[in-house]
Amino acid sequence: MPLKGKVGESIPRVDAMDKVLGKALFAADFRMEGLFHMKVLRSDRPHARIRKINTERAARMEGVVRIFTYKDIPGKNLIGIINKDQTVLAEERVRFVGDAVALVVAHSEREAERALGKIQVEYEDLHPIFDPEKSLDSTTLIHEKGNLLYQRDIVRGDVEKGFSDADLSIETIYSTSMLEHTYLEPDAGVAWIDEKGRITVYASTQNPHYDHREIVTSLGIDPSKVRVIQATTGGGFGSKLDITVQCFLALAVYYLRRPIRLVYTREEAYLATAKRHPLIMKYKTGVRQDGKIVAMYVDILGDTGAYGSYGIAVAGRAAVHATGPYHVPHVKVRARMAYTNRPFCGAMRGFGVPQVAFAHESQMDLVAEELGMDPFDIRLLNAFEPGSETATGQILKDSVGIKDCLQRVQEHSKKIKEEKASPGRLSGRGIAAMWYGIGNTGMKNPASARAELNHQGMFALFTGAAEIGQGSDTVLCQIAASEMGIGVEDIRLIRGDTAITPDAGATSASRQTYISGNAVRKAAARLRVMVLENASEFLHVPVKELSIEDALIKSIRDGKTLTTLEEVAARCKHEGKKLIGEGFFDPPTSTLNPETGQGIPYATYAFACHMVDVRVDPTTGEVDVLRVVAAHDVGKAINPTNVVGQIASGVAMGIGQALMEEFAPGQTGSMREYMIPTVKDVPVIIPIIVESPEHTGPFGAKGVGEPALIPTAPAIINAMNRALGVKIVNLPAKLERVMKMVLKGSGAVG
Amino acid sequence: MKNIKISFVINGKKEEREIPPNISLLKLLRDHLGLTGTKNGCEAGECGACTVLLDGRPVYACLVLAPKVDGKEIITIEGIGEEGKLHAVQKAFLAHGAVQCGFCTPGMILAAKALLDERPNPSRKEIEDAISGNLCRCTGYLQIVKAIEASGKGGKGEV
Repeated sequence: MPLKGKVGESIPRVDAMDKVLGKALFAADFRMEGLFHMKVLRSDRPHARIRKINTERAARMEGVVRIFTYKDIPGKNLIGIINKDQTVLAEERVRFVGDAVALVVAHSEREAERALGKIQVEYEDLHPIFDPEKSLDSTTLIHEKGNLLYQRDIVRGDVEKGFSDADLSIETIYSTSMLEHTYLEPDAGVAWIDEKGRITVYASTQNPHYDHREIVTSLGIDPSKVRVIQATTGGGFGSKLDITVQCFLALAVYYLRRPIRLVYTREEAYLATAKRHPLIMKYKTGVRQDGKIVAMYVDILGDTGAYGSYGIAVAGRAAVHATGPYHVPHVKVRARMAYTNRPFCGAMRGFGVPQVAFAHESQMDLVAEELGMDPFDIRLLNAFEPGSETATGQILKDSVGIKDCLQRVQEHSKKIKEEKASPGRLSGRGIAAMWYGIGNTGMKNPASARAELNHQGMFALFTGAAEIGQGSDTVLCQIAASEMGIGVEDIRLIRGDTAITPDAGATSASRQTYISGNAVRKAAARLRVMVLENASEFLHVPVKELSIEDALIKSIRDGKTLTTLEEVAARCKHEGKKLIGEGFFDPPTSTLNPETGQGIPYATYAFACHMVDVRVDPTTGEVDVLRVVAAHDVGKAINPTNVVGQIASGVAMGIGQALMEEFAPGQTGSMREYMIPTVKDVPVIIPIIVESPEHTGPFGAKGVGEPALIPTAPAIINAMNRALGVKIVNLPAKLERVMKMVLKGSGAVG
Repeated sequence: MKNIKISFVINGKKEEREIPPNISLLKLLRDHLGLTGTKNGCEAGECGACTVLLDGRPVYACLVLAPKVDGKEIITIEGIGEEGKLHAVQKAFLAHGAVQCGFCTPGMILAAKALLDERPNPSRKEIEDAISGNLCRCTGYLQIVKAIEASGKGGKGEV
C-alpha cells in the first residue's frame, strides 16, 4: 500500500491529534513541582524618567520570593530583533504605557499580583509624543539617535518625466489603524534548570533560536547554558516574534534556580505586546489614456511606537511593495518610520503590505473609474508577467501567477451574478490584487534542517521552524516524506528546541514552506543518497539503479524490493557509520541600494486576487460581506487543505481589518473593546489555488500565510465604494464611519 | 475565606473537592483537577476557549463559579474521546483541517458536541449559532463549519 503524506496530498495535520484531544501542551498548561509565579510591573506613564524604584515594602509582602529590576540584569539590558533599542527592564526611562519596570516572583500568582502594587516607582514625566509627524519635528527625543527609526527610498526611472507623460494623475492620502493580533493564546512561558544545568525556557514563540540569543546576551552567559523550547503555540501572527516572557523568566531562574511560570492575562497581552503599524500613505498615480500606469509617487509615514521591533522591516517591505503587482516604469517611494510614545508596533501578518495594498488597490479602482475601464482589465493590462521589471529593478523570471489569479477570479465574476440593489439595500462588487515577497527583505535569512536514520531504521527530522498553527510541521514532514520515499507516519519530528534543532530562522514573512522546506528537502535528499550508497555496497547494485519507495529500497529496473531501511541502518550501526543528512537554504537575494532601493529583495513572490460582494444597509451602516472569491498563486500546494485553511484565515482577518478592528491605546484594554470576526462575520469563501511553479522552491512551492490576508480588505473597500458611491480612505470602515458616509454622500470619507 | 466541599461528576467520574468558594469553574478544572485541555483565553467570557459542558449545556467555564457545579455533571475535552476512540466531531476536525493553532479547538469541539447531541443534523445556521460565541483567529471558521456539518451528516466525521 502506498504510504501517505506525499507532497500534494491533503493529509490531516501531524499536530492535530493532540489538539483535538486537549493534550497539546501549551506553556500555560505546563505543571511542575514547586513552581514559583511571576508578575510584571509595567509603566503607567507614556514617557517618563525613572527617579527611583523602591521595592522594599513589596519584598516584605507575604509569599514574595524576590523582586527584580534592571540592576539585576547581569548582561546587556538591550533587546530587539533588528535594531536593539528596547530594555528588558526599564533603567532610567519608560517610553510607553506598558513598559516593563520590575518583576515579582512569589509562591502564588495572587501574592505576586498583590506585591506589584507595593512597588514604588518615582517618575518624572516627560513630554509624550503620540503622532509620528509631530515626532519627526519634535525636539524631545524618544531615543538618543533621534525619532526617525528608518527611511527607505526607492527610485526607478524619472518620476517627474513619468507624470508629464501621463494623461491623468490621481492623488489620495490613505491611512490605517493600529491593530492587535489577538492570537487566542495569551503569551506564556515556564522556565527551569534542566538535567544538564541549562536555563530552559518553554515558551509560546515564533522564533526560539532568536529568543535563545537574546537570553544569552541579557544574562551574559555561555550559549550552551541556555535552552529554549517552543511550546505548542496558540497563534502568533507576528506578535510572538518579539521577546515577551522569555528574558524575564530566564533572569529569575538564573538567580533562583527554581521553576517559574509567567502567563499573561489577556489585558497584559494587549497592553504589552507588539501591534500593527498604522501607516499614512500619500499616493499619486499617473496613467495614460489607454490605462497604462506610467508613474507612481508614494510617501509613507509609519508610527513604530516606543520601539523599533520590526519597524525597519515594515518600512522596507511597504516601500518595495508600494506599486502593487504592476509594472510601473517611473517610481519614487519614500517610507519612514517614526518613534512615538504609543505601544510599540512590530510584525503583523504581511509587514506593511496589507496597508499599502489598501492604497494601491484603491488607486487602481479610482483610475479605472476615471478612464471608464473594467477593474479586471486595468489590472490585467498592468500586471507583472515573466520578464517584468519591478520598482527595485528586479526582473521576474518564473512563477509570476498574477494574471492567472486575475483571470480565474474574472471567470467566477462572470458566473456569479452580482447582487442587485434593492430598496434599503445597497450592493457592490470589488476586486483587489497583491504580490508578496517570500522571506526577509534583501538580507540573508537562511534555514537549516537535519534528517537522520537512526540505528533502528527510524527516520527523524530536526527543524527549528516554529509551528504556530500555520501548518509547518505537516508541510515539512510531507516534503521530507516525498524526498525520502517514506510515509509521514514514519517520521519522528523534533521541532523548536535550541539544544537539538538547527536554526530555521523566524516563522514570519511566509518563509518556512519555501526556506525551511528547501532545507528539509536537501537534508532528506542527502540522507537518501547516503542510505542508497550504503545499500549499494552490500547489495552490489549501482546507486543509480536503486530507489526508496514506500520506505523500502527497490530496484529501479524491475521495482523489486531489495532491502529495508532497517537493514541498512543495522549494517551502518555495525560499521560505526551514522546516517545524517544536513540541509541549508538561503534564498538568493541582494542588499538594496541605500539611496535608490535597487536590488533583489526577494527570490520569489506570491500573488493573489480576491473578489468581494457586499451588501450595505444605508439606514444602519451595517456591511454584510456576502462572498469572497480568493485566488492564490502558491507555486505548489504541498497540502491543499492547509492552503485553503490559510486562505479562509486570511479572509476572516481581512474582514476584521476592513470593517471592525482598531486598537486605541488607553481605551482598548481587552477583547470586549476589540472586535475580531466571529463565524457570523465570515461569508461564503471560494478558494482557488493557482500553481505557477517556482523553480527555486521545494517541489515548486512558495508561501501563502500572509498573502491570504492581503487582498481581502482592499477588495471589501472597493466593493463598498461602489455600493455607496464614496471613496473610503481610512481603515477600518466601522459602522459609524459608514453611516457618516451615507449621510454625507460621496467624497473622501474616513 | 473558608473552603467549601462540593461534589460533582467530571467526565463520567464522581469527584469530591474542597475548594475556595470564590474560584471559577475554569480554575477548578485547570488548577485543581489538572484538566488543562480547557483553555484560558481571556477570563472574561469573550473568547469561548474555556467552553465545557455543564449538564450537557455549553458554558464558559471562566464565568461559572465553581461552587455552582455542586451536584452537576461536567464534560471537558478530556472526557469525549481518546486516540482510537475519537468522538465524531474530533474525527471530523482532523479530516477537514479544522485545527490550526489548536487553542480554540477544545471549546469549539464541545460547543459542536452540545449542538449535535440536541440536533444530529444541524443546518448551517444552527452550526453558526452554536459556535458564534467561540472565537478562532486562525481558521476563518470555514473548515470548522465543514467539519461540524460532516459530523452531523455522516455521523462518523470522515470525508
